Amino acid sequence: MDSILSILREYGVLLLVGQYPNGPLGGLTITLVLSVLGLVLAFPLGVAIALARISPLGWLRMPAAAVIYVVRGVPLLMFIFWVYFFVPVLTGRTVSGFTTMVITLVIYQAAYLAEIVRAGIQGLPHGQTEAARAVGLSYTQTMTKVVLPQALYNMVPALVSQFVSTIKETSLGYVISVNEVTFAANQINSSLMTQPFQVYFILAAIYFCLCFSLTRLARFLERRINARREGTFRPATSPALAATGPIASEHAA
Amino acid sequence: MGSKLDFSVLSRGEYPQWIWHGVLTMFELTLAAWLFAMALGMVLAVVRMADSRVAKAFVASYVEYHQNVPMLVQVFLWYFGMPALLPHAAQQWLNAHNSEFLLAFISIGLCMAAYVSEGLRGGIRSIPKSQLEAARAIGLSYLQASRLVLIPQALRIALPTLVSHTVLLFKNTSLAMTIGVAELTYATREIESQSFKTVEIYLLSTVIYLGISLLIMTAGAGLESRYRIRTR
Amino acid sequence: MNMSSSPASSPLIAFDLVNKWYGDYHALNGISAEVHKGEVVVVCGPSGSGKSTLIRTVNRLESIQSGAIRFNGQDVNAPSLDINRFRSQVGFVFQSFNLFPHLSVAQNIMLGPVNVRKQKRAQARTRALELLERVGLASKVDAFPGQLSGGQQQRVAIARALAMDPPAMLFDEPTSALDPEMVGEVLQVMKSLARDGMTMMCVTHEMNFAREVADRVWFMDQGSLVETALPEAFFSNPRSERARKFLSDLRSH
Repeated sequence: MDSILSILREYGVLLLVGQYPNGPLGGLTITLVLSVLGLVLAFPLGVAIALARISPLGWLRMPAAAVIYVVRGVPLLMFIFWVYFFVPVLTGRTVSGFTTMVITLVIYQAAYLAEIVRAGIQGLPHGQTEAARAVGLSYTQTMTKVVLPQALYNMVPALVSQFVSTIKETSLGYVISVNEVTFAANQINSSLMTQPFQVYFILAAIYFCLCFSLTRLARFLERRINARREGTFRPATSPALAATGPIASEHAA
Repeated sequence: MGSKLDFSVLSRGEYPQWIWHGVLTMFELTLAAWLFAMALGMVLAVVRMADSRVAKAFVASYVEYHQNVPMLVQVFLWYFGMPALLPHAAQQWLNAHNSEFLLAFISIGLCMAAYVSEGLRGGIRSIPKSQLEAARAIGLSYLQASRLVLIPQALRIALPTLVSHTVLLFKNTSLAMTIGVAELTYATREIESQSFKTVEIYLLSTVIYLGISLLIMTAGAGLESRYRIRTR
Repeated sequence: MNMSSSPASSPLIAFDLVNKWYGDYHALNGISAEVHKGEVVVVCGPSGSGKSTLIRTVNRLESIQSGAIRFNGQDVNAPSLDINRFRSQVGFVFQSFNLFPHLSVAQNIMLGPVNVRKQKRAQARTRALELLERVGLASKVDAFPGQLSGGQQQRVAIARALAMDPPAMLFDEPTSALDPEMVGEVLQVMKSLARDGMTMMCVTHEMNFAREVADRVWFMDQGSLVETALPEAFFSNPRSERARKFLSDLRSH
């Protein structure tokens, strides 16, 4: 236990922010930056792929389905190597591990997000689309004004879960020397040599605290959304009133 | 990017052997981890159903830990961290007995067991409580009722989830390369660094991974339709 | 109507000052009554009267806090009782049939005999076929519960309960969950069982059934056994005020 505390004291900063301000940013900060960038950039791509997947146009549907299948059938590690090799070939310049990782995460997450968005859209009662078209809205207007806003709201818990997955996936950046928290932990272990268990225990604990809190958040949001769906929704005439719906007793598995 | 692809390079020298060995190891790792994960996952799911707060808390913590820590970190913790806690004799035994493979399949199996148990738990929760009552009313013991009535139904309901977990487990065997297990991704990198024929070897490995993922998903769909609970 | 019961023989099912509480709610209030071999007893009363609770105490699906219940001479709540062997001797038919959907009709019926009585499969299957004949469903032997109607499922459930050759059968509102046109086929089976001399305890609202085959009617209200009487007497001239109210409420439908 003492050894854990002393490691934390000595290397805590390295784990959190890398060598900043005496060097590049690293550690947990980079992990978070990677995750946020990855998910935020993947999102529009994911929505696009999802829309293509459910599009009535066959020439959009097939490639979209193919992309999703390929990305989900290949290990993330292989994917990282592909991107690491291919991007410099395509752009003619070398790219840093960080950029490679971002690109990999964007494409990888987009495929998973596409499935979440698709489920969200298809989970809406069909009557919503019918009513919108009956009023005279076009397909695009129906999507942007009626379907997507509701679907996205329902998807928020799943999105938070995907964020957790993204955070976990950043750990693979270690393989291409991206300076995130797993890489930092490895550096610490290499220099300490004699306390691998303590070092990796700390690493696991860092991820656990971060991801567990986010998972709890996702479950909380899911309960709130289910409570609203079950007809206990009160339009927010006052914040107090809006928060008094009963909470479903089952939380997400 | 004009140079043509030359797959024949891959058939020279030791490369075919490496590829084959890599594929074999990948299969062995998948099988070992899968069996372990399924068995442990079922045990965890049944334990969680017991009437004990301690049992439920234990399984819940187990699941939370394994689902919120990256699998790579879990592998590291087992391979680098755990042996340091063992007495010296045990460490030597490990080193002499292919500890990389052993610890790889253990850590992957332990992690996936958490997902399997969650999948089964979802299946079990969708079974009405009256099923257990009816089973007990005929005179089946709790264990018999679990084995003959609850688990078979839970498995059928959870089947799609379990199939996707199997695919996930299969893909995650690639992580074992980080601790030196000579599975397919490891072999791919080795061949790349020696032959410089990156696209060829990457393509081959990708096709192999994709093919097997497709195989697993097709087999899963087949199982689903065979064992589906039949209605009108 | 069954005339073969002799009052002097010891009762097959005996309740002796049985009390049960759910927290503060007194669910069963000092019930004392007997069912003799070959008797058919119908238990009726308004909802919440405890009639289902009472019948479920016989095979310990519900526990009791005081009093005693004896079945076939055994104390149901004795700690030394092998509960699984015991339950296999009590045929219980549920309101919601509770067939096992993943097993065929034959497998449902064979489950008890094969796993609790350790019978050979071939023998158990022959017996299952006999029982299916008896309830009129021999053609459905390899069908699955999901493919059967409600009435058919309940008849299979009765066959399943009979498979263990129980000395008595308990029915907990066996027709309440059925569509009206299917009630008849289930009552048919129950009546034929009664005519064959089976000891039966039925919780039911089917008053015509009671009139035709019951030897006695037990009327329960708010946890107490208010009245026991011969069916004709009970229906034409109930002694208690509560029974009168119950019957008039029933008839006004």
